[in-house]
Amino acid sequence: MATTQTPAPAPAAPHARAVRRLGVRARHDARTRLAAGSALWLSLLLVTWWWVTGGGIRDLGGWGSGLESVGRITGLTSAVLLLAQVVLMARVPVLERAFGQDELARIHRIVGFTSFNLMLAHIVTITWGYAGGSPTSTPRTLWDLVVNYPGMLLATAATVCLVMVVVTSIRAARRRLRYESWHLLHLYAYLGVGLAIPHQLWTGADFTSSTGRQVFWWSAWIAAAGSVLLWRVGLPLWRNLRHDLRVAAVVPEGDGTVSVHVTGRALHRLPVEAGQFFTWRFGGRSGRSRANPYSLSAAPDGRSLRITVQDVGDGSAAAAGLTVGSRAWVEGPYGRLSPRARTRHKVLMIGAGVGITPLRALAEGLDYAPGEALVLYRTSSAPIFVDELHELAQRRGLLVWGLTGRRRAPDSWLGSGVEAPTDLAALTSWVPDVAERDVFVCGPRPWTELVLRDLRGAGVPEQHIHLENFGW
Amino acid sequence: MKRIVLWVLSTISTVVVLFGYHTSTSSVMATSREGTFSGSLSGQTTSGSAAGSAAGSASGSGSTTGGSAPPSDSGSTDTSGSSSASSSTVTGDVAQTRWGPVQVQLDVSGSTITDVTILQYPDSNGRDVEIASYSLPQLIQETLDAQGDSISMVSGATYTSQGYLQSLQSALDQAGL
Repeated sequence: MATTQTPAPAPAAPHARAVRRLGVRARHDARTRLAAGSALWLSLLLVTWWWVTGGGIRDLGGWGSGLESVGRITGLTSAVLLLAQVVLMARVPVLERAFGQDELARIHRIVGFTSFNLMLAHIVTITWGYAGGSPTSTPRTLWDLVVNYPGMLLATAATVCLVMVVVTSIRAARRRLRYESWHLLHLYAYLGVGLAIPHQLWTGADFTSSTGRQVFWWSAWIAAAGSVLLWRVGLPLWRNLRHDLRVAAVVPEGDGTVSVHVTGRALHRLPVEAGQFFTWRFGGRSGRSRANPYSLSAAPDGRSLRITVQDVGDGSAAAAGLTVGSRAWVEGPYGRLSPRARTRHKVLMIGAGVGITPLRALAEGLDYAPGEALVLYRTSSAPIFVDELHELAQRRGLLVWGLTGRRRAPDSWLGSGVEAPTDLAALTSWVPDVAERDVFVCGPRPWTELVLRDLRGAGVPEQHIHLENFGW
Repeated sequence: MKRIVLWVLSTISTVVVLFGYHTSTSSVMATSREGTFSGSLSGQTTSGSAAGSAAGSASGSGSTTGGSAPPSDSGSTDTSGSSSASSSTVTGDVAQTRWGPVQVQLDVSGSTITDVTILQYPDSNGRDVEIASYSLPQLIQETLDAQGDSISMVSGATYTSQGYLQSLQSALDQAGL
């Protein structure tokens, strides 16, 4: 292991204010997460309650009526979760701040698959139940339902949309698709949600049979559609028009990476923190409809933003060909790998490859006393930001350890030359107080999974681990 | 970009075509058999008449001996003097079921039920109409065959059957059968 830094004395930082407020926002976020989870739970409880008062449990007694009853409750819960997973991906600021986009995407996946499975159960049981529980007449009943019942042809189209979205999101299929193709196909989920509504209103008596139900469902639909229009479409549009971001400079950082400096109007009004990322589109080059998520690689100073890009996938390499003055379109800022998540005085940052970029910004943007912040920087090629990290070490007392060389074993997140028998032993010998620190981790997913394994092994509480994966 | 536009256009076109289908823009059941259900003894036919046809279409043939058809409106009692036995119309109480009300009207000639008319049944959505359209004719036929309330429930139409039976019994009580 190569150590590339020395702690340097620095003047006592004026971070008393920050220390006093340490964890205030993190606790607020924890409450928001609890409230959001409770809201979803209570919605499910409410529709279940309506199902029960409508005789849902009593109907379970008979075979045909039981199937219909199961069909009703699976349909209702599926509809609630379907809307929930739309809201989860609507970039709702309060959710983005509280969960972070990684976590939202993870929950979205779970909620989405659950909703889909319930929808399949709904289709099977309701058709079977309408057929009086007879398997042989079920196909005929299905045809009758699709052709003759109000809104059911649209519901069938909605099913097709959702099946397509889910099939392309199964991991094996998703790996074969370009991100952009997958994302475009994913937009059909909105169509699916919309096309499902007529049959819920016209054929599903449980949606409209009381004022309370109508209020609940219309509010839910309006909230979901409103969230998407307001925050997924409207807010980015407004921010881009307001800030008018332009490429100000493109600077090679060596080893196939370039930094892109972006300036714009009134950037001090853009609510962004070190460690966050935007989704970027650059005008004036081919494939500008493609968006790439890049973290800021410097703490935002209110005048400019900087990202640092490696040639990792579609569109990245083209960054080097960007021309000064071309327009940058962004969505964001997103991500919780920021001072917002912090609860502890001492900080450990672990990054691999280009995953160092948000940590580089954090090392600048976080408040810490000399010696309180440590960066473990894993890279198998030439490190970037060497000078900048050195300067932070000099000025702020940041500790930086480089973990270079080839990976020492397939299941190791460390480079060759580490003598400790296990990665965990290495980690705890270098950072004995790791369990007392906030740990910010950024890197490619297989690598971060190994890091997380050892952080947990070292006794770091889950709420102190802040993770950003890149790649998809 | 061109491919995306083509995708969007074909998607919109498909949706437009889908909305052209009649079930996509109307909450009314496609094969709605809304209307009245009635059955008479003489014809031994039980039918649901289609929407729009008058309630009396089937009950017109309901008299056993004479030629005079009882009025089709839901008056509670009505006697027709032309027949040898006294013929009357009795209306059962409204039975509230989970899906809606059921009300039965009987034409009785002497001690014979000659005609059964359903004045109300659950029809608030397509499924209710669907259930009514197959269960009510069966229930009516069973009533005429059994000449009383010893009839069996129609499977898959438990609530409608229960409501029917309840209203039927009150009608039978009124008729003194």
